[in-house]
Amino acid sequence: MLTDYEKAKYNRQIMIPGFGEEGQKKLKRACVFLAGAGGLGSAVATYLVAAGIGTLRIADHDIIEPSNLNRQVLHWDKDVGQKKVDSASRKLRQLNEAVTIEPIAETIASDNVSRMVAGCDIIVDAMDNLPTRYILNKAALEKDIPFVYGAVYGFEGRVMTIIPGKTACLNCLYHGAVPPRGVFPVIGVVPALIGCIQATEVIKYIVSLGELLTNRLLVYDGLSMKFTELHADRDPNCEHCHQVERSGN
Amino acid sequence: MSIKMNISPVFLQYTNNQRVVEVEGTNVGEALDHLTNKFPSMKNWLFDKKSKLLDHINIYVNGHSAYPENLGKPIKDGDEISIIFMVGGG
Ligand SMILES: [Zn+2]
Repeated sequence: MLTDYEKAKYNRQIMIPGFGEEGQKKLKRACVFLAGAGGLGSAVATYLVAAGIGTLRIADHDIIEPSNLNRQVLHWDKDVGQKKVDSASRKLRQLNEAVTIEPIAETIASDNVSRMVAGCDIIVDAMDNLPTRYILNKAALEKDIPFVYGAVYGFEGRVMTIIPGKTACLNCLYHGAVPPRGVFPVIGVVPALIGCIQATEVIKYIVSLGELLTNRLLVYDGLSMKFTELHADRDPNCEHCHQVERSGN
Repeated sequence: MSIKMNISPVFLQYTNNQRVVEVEGTNVGEALDHLTNKFPSMKNWLFDKKSKLLDHINIYVNGHSAYPENLGKPIKDGDEISIIFMVGGG
């Protein structure tokens, strides 16, 4: 059920053909797992919360540093030194009081990821490093939860949506060893844009609208202002996909 | 012979700011050799010490991944090659 206030608040998206009050109810019932409350996470969280997602579970173990503030717009000067999930939760609860925010101030690892994503309808990758993305990719495949990959570097960004067992996964896309975590250059508008594309995918998936960005890697180059779409095929030898098929999922 | 190679903004400093480089070759390996002969500092960004393509570099020919052939993937006149590196920031 939507209250009169909710109907008024979400009126402009309910008006979209195919969305309607049914779509809004689906959003209200949905739980999204957001891995990371940084640059991508700020954009994803802000727009999902404003759109009236039911529950947003945010995992991030980081403390806010000055170097985060050029892009992680949920965190402000006065928040430096605080936990990112605390700062993010505080802002998001003010943005939309009806949304349940579940902060998890833990490091996402192989041994806890399963518990963290349990019960969520979709996982959004807003991490700042590649090894954790692979942990999330594997967990998404194992638990059969759709996964929206997003990443940025400088003026460049990448996005792809993964439907477990059906479309190319992150490991199908990038083979071999993963470069370790490192400091990367970035301008805030890039994660803002990529995060908004990820949030768009989440909303479309939950409301069942449009076509998802599956088997397609979207590459954004802000300097030449070009979007390029590359075909991503499932790799028949992909270890991540294989493991899931072997375990009978 | 005209094969276009799209250069990621990250590598522009090594290609004299050329966003698109015309290369020659009958396969991806030859095209990349052509590129690195023209711009030698690109070599370290694409290959390891044994001249193997780095794991985090993906080559696309006309929007399709060159994997698993990679360097051996045949190319022809009019093809467009993109070098895509794995990105991890957030
Ligand atoms: Zn796979």
